[in-house]
Amino acid sequence: MNSSPGTHLPEEQKRLMRRAAKLEWISVGYAACTITVVALVVGNSQAMRTAWVEDMLSVLPQLAFLIALRWTRKPRKPRQPYGYHRSMGAGHLVAGVALLVVGAMLAYESITALVKTEHPTIGTVNLFGHTIWQGWPMIAVMTVIVIPALILGRLKIKVAKPLHNKLLYADSKMAKADWQTNAASIVGVAGIGLGIWWLDAVAALVISLGILKDGWDSTRSATSDLLDSRASDLDGTDPHPLVSRIEEQLARMNWVEESAVRARELGQVQHIEVFVVPHSGQVGVKQVAEACAELEELDWPAYDVVMIPVSSIPDYLSEAPARV
Amino acid sequence: MRVKTRTLQKLLPGMAVLPLLAGCGAQIPVDPEGTLEDVRSGTISVGVSPNADFVEVSNGPLQGSEIQIIQNFAENLDAEVEWTVGGEEQLVEALENGDLDLVAGGISSKTPWAEQVGMTRPYTTHVDVDGKESKIVMLVPPGENAFLFEVERFLDRTQMP
Repeated sequence: MNSSPGTHLPEEQKRLMRRAAKLEWISVGYAACTITVVALVVGNSQAMRTAWVEDMLSVLPQLAFLIALRWTRKPRKPRQPYGYHRSMGAGHLVAGVALLVVGAMLAYESITALVKTEHPTIGTVNLFGHTIWQGWPMIAVMTVIVIPALILGRLKIKVAKPLHNKLLYADSKMAKADWQTNAASIVGVAGIGLGIWWLDAVAALVISLGILKDGWDSTRSATSDLLDSRASDLDGTDPHPLVSRIEEQLARMNWVEESAVRARELGQVQHIEVFVVPHSGQVGVKQVAEACAELEELDWPAYDVVMIPVSSIPDYLSEAPARV
Repeated sequence: MRVKTRTLQKLLPGMAVLPLLAGCGAQIPVDPEGTLEDVRSGTISVGVSPNADFVEVSNGPLQGSEIQIIQNFAENLDAEVEWTVGGEEQLVEALENGDLDLVAGGISSKTPWAEQVGMTRPYTTHVDVDGKESKIVMLVPPGENAFLFEVERFLDRTQMP
């Protein structure tokens, strides 16, 4: 049984989890650096300001992950019979909603700037006695800071997939898409430089739509998990492969006449309920316990398997089987 | 959604390269409304509001440190100065509408007008009677970045110690 205290994870997953936490700490530290550097050059460009806020927002899923990680390690107890795994989902939802709200605010700001035909003013800086247009250092900063963010994103996605951690996955997808934000802000500043005043607001709008999309995806996926949707893959479209493996395993058990699986995700692990109709309507306690242990052995996300002997499969499961 | 993101991914680098290509040879930044072009070898419309030693309005010609700076700046651009004396609010409105090219009058860098129009970097400081120090700026039309560049470069060259 997997009720031991700690992360309950197998050695390999524990290692990945430690790596994920390390990557997220590095990400938070790096974000702190970029936020400071961009603050020095941000100026009057709407696109730059939007990209700057996006940098600040990118910390949210990372912090949510690091905080949730402390919680998921707690063992379950009578008051908390399912453990604390759901804290990942709660963090995911909070980060998603924050992205949605701020994304909407930024989109509104850039649309207002377009409607009012606001011409952004960018002056100069005096560098060692030379008067230099401020747009140049802006473009330089936005070009340089994107590279480490891209590398971190790629490293994180490699960890998120085997861990089946949706929060980490959403975060790494955001980091991977970060270069688009930087590219858009460079387009905006270059537009101002060329006297195309509206290009800045349009670039800002593109960035804020990206933030909105991230927010929408995260909110939808987190809400769907909190509503105990069928366990699914990382993108939330196909059923989780573990469900069909359990069904196959059940089909191999001699005493099982008919069965159906109800699996929900508790963060990166699953709570699985199996409804079984035994042959001749009889089953022993020992058979049930053995079957549960067997199913939990299948894979580490099968964290908590409960078997319920029934006379017939519940309608809502047989009408829409988990395997589509 | 996926298709859109891919299009965006292809579009963005293209968008980034285009302005850079177009920028080769041309001077950056450019004025959307062409203020610098119009002023050079033409007329520069300057609004001033009376303020201490910066802008002194009395019978006879305008005087003060900023009047002198602006006259030198205009000479530098081979331009004639057309002066307008008025209150700050009225001048800022004219600046926004494109009727003026430059506004001065001992304006501090904390001016609320910076929301509506462009502002130069502070080029000097001023200590008032209470001993409070403020940084002095001039105002330019919003988004006329080539003109702002020219003004700031002139201030850097002539006003910096």
